[in-house]
Amino acid sequence: MTANILSPLRVQPARRFGYDERSALLFVLPLAVVLFAVAAFPIAYSFYISLFNLRLTRPNRISFVWFDNYVNVLSDPQFWEAVQRTVTFSVMAVVTTTVLGLLIALLLNEDFPGRRILSALLLIPWAIPSVANGLMWKWIYDSSHGALNGALFQLGFINSYMVWLGDASRTLALIANAFVWKEVPLATILLLIGMKAIPAELYAAAKVDGANAMRCFLHVTLPALGPSFALVIVYETMMAIRHFDLFFLLTEGGPGDASHVIAWHIYVETFRSLSFGTGAAMAYILALATLGLSYVVIRILGRRL
Amino acid sequence: MSAQARFSRTALLAISSILLLLYVLAPIAWLVSSSFQSEREIVSKPPHWLPQEPTIGNFAAIFTSHERSVTYETRRATDPASGGFVPSTAKNLLPSLRNSFIVACTVVVLNLLIGLPAGYAVAKIRFRGRQASIYAILATRVIPDIALVVPFFLFIRNLGLLDTLASLIVTYLAITVPFSVFILINYFESLPDELDKAARVDGCSRWQTMTKIFLPLVTPSIVAVILFAFLVSWNEFLLALMFTQTPQSQTLPIVIASFTSDFTISFSFINAAGVLAILPPVILALIFERYIVAGLTVGAVKG
Amino acid sequence: MARLGAVTRRSILKNATAGIAAASVLGEAGSALATDPLYLATWSAAVDQVKSHLAAFEAQTGIKVEYSNSPWAQFRETMVTKFIGNAPIDTVWVSDSWLPEWAEAGWISPVDQYKALTAYNSDVDQFCVESMTYNGKQYGITYYSDFMGFIYNGEILDKAGIKTAPQTWDEVVEQSKIIKAKGLSQWPMVLPLAQETWLIEFLASIVYSQGGRFTGDNGMALMQDGKNGAVTALRWVVDAVQKHTIVSPSCVETGELAAVKSFSSGQHAFVLLPKYRLRRINDPNQSQIAGNAKIALMPKSENGSHATVGWMRFYGMTPRAQADATRAANTVKLMEWFGGKAQGEYTFQRLLFNDLGAGFGVKSLFQDPEMRKLYSAYGDVDVIGQQQGLARKKDMITPWFGAWNDVNGSAWQQAVLGKVTPEQALKTSADKWNALKKQS
Repeated sequence: MTANILSPLRVQPARRFGYDERSALLFVLPLAVVLFAVAAFPIAYSFYISLFNLRLTRPNRISFVWFDNYVNVLSDPQFWEAVQRTVTFSVMAVVTTTVLGLLIALLLNEDFPGRRILSALLLIPWAIPSVANGLMWKWIYDSSHGALNGALFQLGFINSYMVWLGDASRTLALIANAFVWKEVPLATILLLIGMKAIPAELYAAAKVDGANAMRCFLHVTLPALGPSFALVIVYETMMAIRHFDLFFLLTEGGPGDASHVIAWHIYVETFRSLSFGTGAAMAYILALATLGLSYVVIRILGRRL
Repeated sequence: MSAQARFSRTALLAISSILLLLYVLAPIAWLVSSSFQSEREIVSKPPHWLPQEPTIGNFAAIFTSHERSVTYETRRATDPASGGFVPSTAKNLLPSLRNSFIVACTVVVLNLLIGLPAGYAVAKIRFRGRQASIYAILATRVIPDIALVVPFFLFIRNLGLLDTLASLIVTYLAITVPFSVFILINYFESLPDELDKAARVDGCSRWQTMTKIFLPLVTPSIVAVILFAFLVSWNEFLLALMFTQTPQSQTLPIVIASFTSDFTISFSFINAAGVLAILPPVILALIFERYIVAGLTVGAVKG
Repeated sequence: MARLGAVTRRSILKNATAGIAAASVLGEAGSALATDPLYLATWSAAVDQVKSHLAAFEAQTGIKVEYSNSPWAQFRETMVTKFIGNAPIDTVWVSDSWLPEWAEAGWISPVDQYKALTAYNSDVDQFCVESMTYNGKQYGITYYSDFMGFIYNGEILDKAGIKTAPQTWDEVVEQSKIIKAKGLSQWPMVLPLAQETWLIEFLASIVYSQGGRFTGDNGMALMQDGKNGAVTALRWVVDAVQKHTIVSPSCVETGELAAVKSFSSGQHAFVLLPKYRLRRINDPNQSQIAGNAKIALMPKSENGSHATVGWMRFYGMTPRAQADATRAANTVKLMEWFGGKAQGEYTFQRLLFNDLGAGFGVKSLFQDPEMRKLYSAYGDVDVIGQQQGLARKKDMITPWFGAWNDVNGSAWQQAVLGKVTPEQALKTSADKWNALKKQS
């Protein structure tokens, strides 16, 4: 049986401390150093900063404020509005990505000429830099010369060029579209791996019971893809919550506050208002929330399997 | 399968394939098409889907845009009024390509140096805290990048290391090493323990076991790590935005982002720069496509 | 015990940061050799003009200058990141809006001790000198000065049978409706309301001409006041977009540059733009309506006047430049070369006016016959002169302006998009202002 990214890792019982453990320590040391320096340290330092009223516009007036920053952040309605927008965006993005990923994986799971080429081409959105993705979609959504306007106009769906990114009711959806386009390949691959791991006997058994394609799909494929769905949903949610690049390139949080999500909120607070204390507090809250969320989701989905 | 069922299957596959092709390629095709259009043509309504007067002027501007000396006499040469406008930061494109390349390659090498021994150890050597360390490794990636930026920025600034490639390389390790190690652990895991035991019987030390026996066998995952670490470093935007100030250390995504809001916007040039930016990663991804899946699946690479 | 601990913690952090900052600055200054170039940072306007003038500077003095520019639309954000990142900068273009913030943060230093620069004060408008002064200290030498103008397309007005440009904001609405009804323009008025550096100046011009203010004499927010604040102004804008439909809803996405291009293509009748843009809109090489763009006095409202907002930008000097005597002297030379006279002439100012129509603050240049000739080719000199006299300085320039500006711009956009009422939007903006004021 082929192991894949979802197989539980086999754990062997630990032996007494001996030669094996010493060399293991040595081998793992560089990794431990890196992880400490780039993971544990920032978390600790970030927490430390968040206890101070550190504003770089007033470098001479830094004071220790205990948890004031956290109180201020959590009682700011703008913060919670940003959270709300992040949730909206993430739900849109994750659902679309998962559904599209499933459909494309179903297609690529079949055997037909040209499948290899399609799979290869599918990697292109995944490979391009997010900057290029942002610029590309910004150009497509452009209200004066963009391709979206042009195509809809030529096909007769609209009578005159419309404003897309500047329309507050559409902003999040449009950004989500750009985000999904780039994320779908990875989701597809993960689901495809899961599909390929489904033993053929299950399908054979279902056919014997007289199931058609749709019933096979519903009763064999979907349940067996449980772990894959879990992985895709968790991963994509993590990616959507933290996403920054498209918000910077396409709308800078606008128009008005329409796309002012939590990542943007932290950026503005830290690097535009230069309030590092509150920015660090926000970042810390976000990190804790993400950790908590992923733990909860994994436990829930893990129990279902 | 009946002939009718076969036909509808074929039709369904064909339509789906075409739709998928459109979905994936249409935006890219438009990007490429726009890059070959002149500024005058690119603002047509409705747009010219294929350039009617294709020009390589935009690309030429990228490669020939260097510091030209400007005197009182020549100062109007690139006036928007006289046409042929190129953003003033265009000359930073090629140096930024170099920066991106240096950073990406260094990160890849470091990933392998750190990841291979660690992957081997965690997969093959039984030691206490093994399971915990695997989860810990994954957990570090749950923290959003923006939460890393704030402390890193202050720390790197206080060290005086802002605006250096070194700061980028070090922070990129944070976002690439965990997943690389995870890929390698998975792959090492899938190789039989007997190899390990046989090597030990032959008198190899752990290091020799790893380098002589296992390394040649884990090539697909090494390629996956190279590809993944290179792409992440090449494409990374937020950290580079925060840690680089001047062209001496700016990477490609930063310079490209700077074009969008230059005082006089040139759409065609931006599209050309975009094409330049996507070429290296896309080519890499297409060449090593099979290793991506192999890196995530540790079984035999089938068709 | 806890208090002692707090003081120790705070002072450690403060001293550490200050220590490191000082060490790096002094360390740099100590090692600043004569061969280390000067660093000039500007926004991306008149780039080739700057380069040509720099070439002359280098030829004349032998001092190398490292020149970098970034987009105006996010200039404050870009520079702020550079400042806190200790990027090398000796002299930089500064907008009057940011003077208090940058002075308080220690990113630019006073220049009163450099007589070469302050000597020019007598030859520039009082408005310019005042705008460069904070807490009694002067922080630079003038770059350029301008005001927000109300520009209209004479040809469209003629075709619509309108004899004179609108004198009041109500007339703007009426005339726009006529123009729209006659099919001459879909969106007769262009209002650039994108969130960028220009935004506050567009908003201020509308607010002032409608008799409003952003802050009161006591420095507290006044914008939320129904009578003397910005409410009537914002309401006018919201109605223009939503009720009368004379301004396109895409105005929140339209920046100043996009507005220039759009207006130059002849699609609109009225626009608010910096006065110097008049030159470009009347240039046959860059505009399709050359010769038809005219400037009128800013329309007023019942309680308002033909007031508009004026601004100035100047050359600032960083502490880094001042840390070392030679570097300081060279930087002053560079600043004078650009902001003052170069070889006895106001060369750069002439260059800018000639090529871009950019306004200058230098009084003597107004008398210069060549300049006056150029001016009259460009627009109605009388109207320009009159409007200049009515230009007011922005009343929200404080150390916390940068932090407040984003919130204010956002709030106005929200109102224009119909998400909140003008009262609510301005209340949000006022609350943020007062909170920042309290904190500072």
